[in-house]
Amino acid sequence: MEYVVQQLLNTLSIGGNYALLALGLAIVFSVIGLVNFAYGEVIAVAGYVMFAVFAIGGIEYALVLMPIGVLAAVVISVTLERVAFRPVRYAPAATGLLTAFGVSILIKNFFITIVATRSKSVPTPAWLAHQIDIGIARIQVIQLLETAVTAIALLLLLLILRRTNIGLAMRAAARDFDMVRMVGINANKVIAAAFAVSGFLAGLAAIFIIARRGVVDPFMGFTPVLKAFVAAVLGGFGSLGGAVVGGFLLGALEVFFQLVLPASIAGYRDAFVFVLVAAILVWRPQGLVGTKRQFGDKDE
Amino acid sequence: MNGSLRSLKGAALTALLPIAIALVVIALGDGAQVRILSIFLINLVIVIGLQMFMGNSNIVNLGHVTFMGIAGYAAAVLTIPTTIKQTIIPNAPFALATFQLGPIEAGIVAIVVAMVIALIVGIVITRESGISATILTLALLVIMHTVLANWVDLTRGMRALYGIPMTANVWILLAAAVAAIFFGRWFRDSPFGIQLRASGESRIAAESAGVNVRFLRLTAWVLGSGIVALGGVLYVYLLGSISPKSFYFDTTLLTLAMLILGGMHSISGAVIGVIVVTAGFEIMRFFETSPIIFGVQIPEFLGLTGFFLGLIIVLSMALRPKGLVGTDEIDESWLRRRKSGLAERR
Repeated sequence: MEYVVQQLLNTLSIGGNYALLALGLAIVFSVIGLVNFAYGEVIAVAGYVMFAVFAIGGIEYALVLMPIGVLAAVVISVTLERVAFRPVRYAPAATGLLTAFGVSILIKNFFITIVATRSKSVPTPAWLAHQIDIGIARIQVIQLLETAVTAIALLLLLLILRRTNIGLAMRAAARDFDMVRMVGINANKVIAAAFAVSGFLAGLAAIFIIARRGVVDPFMGFTPVLKAFVAAVLGGFGSLGGAVVGGFLLGALEVFFQLVLPASIAGYRDAFVFVLVAAILVWRPQGLVGTKRQFGDKDE
Repeated sequence: MNGSLRSLKGAALTALLPIAIALVVIALGDGAQVRILSIFLINLVIVIGLQMFMGNSNIVNLGHVTFMGIAGYAAAVLTIPTTIKQTIIPNAPFALATFQLGPIEAGIVAIVVAMVIALIVGIVITRESGISATILTLALLVIMHTVLANWVDLTRGMRALYGIPMTANVWILLAAAVAAIFFGRWFRDSPFGIQLRASGESRIAAESAGVNVRFLRLTAWVLGSGIVALGGVLYVYLLGSISPKSFYFDTTLLTLAMLILGGMHSISGAVIGVIVVTAGFEIMRFFETSPIIFGVQIPEFLGLTGFFLGLIIVLSMALRPKGLVGTDEIDESWLRRRKSGLAERR
């Protein structure tokens, strides 16, 4: 029992992180059909800004650094939309995908050129690693925070999407962007909002990723973006609810693989996951939980 | 027949530039420059292989390096002398450690293996269109890399395989590149290529005109993967040692950038793209290694070549999404300009 609860808690915190990441990727895709592979670099930028504030400004209070990291992620996400993705907005999806790859390479190498290829450390408060005994299991403070922050972020996002005009416009744009523009809503605003939300979610995820690693390096965005991508496909690409489910599903899958796969084939984990991704794309493109697209919905 | 003669001439014209570059470098260059030329020629083969599916079917392919990796590893494992194999991969499956093949036989086997795998996965991938097909090719790349990195008995995992006889020389590479140019151009101008390009512009229109889109996509996918596999085999025979790192995102994005910068819809685009990116890379590499210019030591800028690569992709997507050459082959555009009359020239 204790063991099961422990693994469930692990799944919740890992899955929560993936859900944030996948949601950030999905919200942009649902609005403008862009598979934003530069998303990992948004996380890296958050990390490097935190590192810069620490190294140059000498600030090491986590409660100051963390909001700065989130803010940096929002700013870079919106900026990237403005300078890199707007010119290719109406191009085929493949053009946007390649642009995103280009941006990703560009930012990565910017850090290599300006900072270093080696990793740099960012201070993480010791209390994050503290273990709390909650009776039937032990949980780290960071896991608790991660799960809580994910829950709050999801609620907040739900409120924005359901209760505000811009949220409504974003949801409508996911269905039919032309219609949204026809009723007089500014397309640039909707898209900028989508990128801002995406950056915010990436920033939140980044804080926990960096707190776990304790260091930043130019290649740190690669794994998170792949995870986000897999989670989004599992849940049905472009579906927001699906992205959340996909994130937790991927978390559960990873914990499961870790427990059952013998060491000799544990290395093949990524191969299994991507075979699953391919199978879903071919046989259930709406994702494991999604419903079939209806006639008149935006197609791929 | 007039048409096929014209594509033959066009291919010859396109091949002229790399041939001229190769002859100049071989005649005047030092060892390091011939080595850059060799890599350039291999990239040319790979990019033309990539062009065959991506350029004609209009589906972005992120998985072509998969077949470079499969064929490269197959050729390596088959050609490494048994004495070396007994130490580095003694437990190789299928008794591979007990025999070795000559470079030509091994190369043929490697390419056939890659094409058979291409056929199997191609049947699934060519069902899909647009971004889902692209994501499938991406999944393929990750799966191949994971297998290469973990099948330690066969590939030695992340550690390098070495001892491959270095049988490739610059003349063989040049011949392969020229052959690839002719083959790529032939396919593009053949009825297959024309129908496939039509389906790339509008699948529905092409299908209603009786084009068998899936069959054509599969044909281009398998043939293109075969050319990429040839590139992988030559790469292995040139370097003599390989590791899975050579067959992942870096190589994928580099060759992809070459193709889209030049223009993915034509062979001349592929050739120009490889030339421009290679030239740009060598210039950047010069600055990267802290050179002395006019007596001033320029500081070291690691990551400059990568920065340049990213910049190429972003700028060409934003400014010239059809590439430097555009949709048509260079000779086709020339011909059209001549036909439209000199008087009408703006």
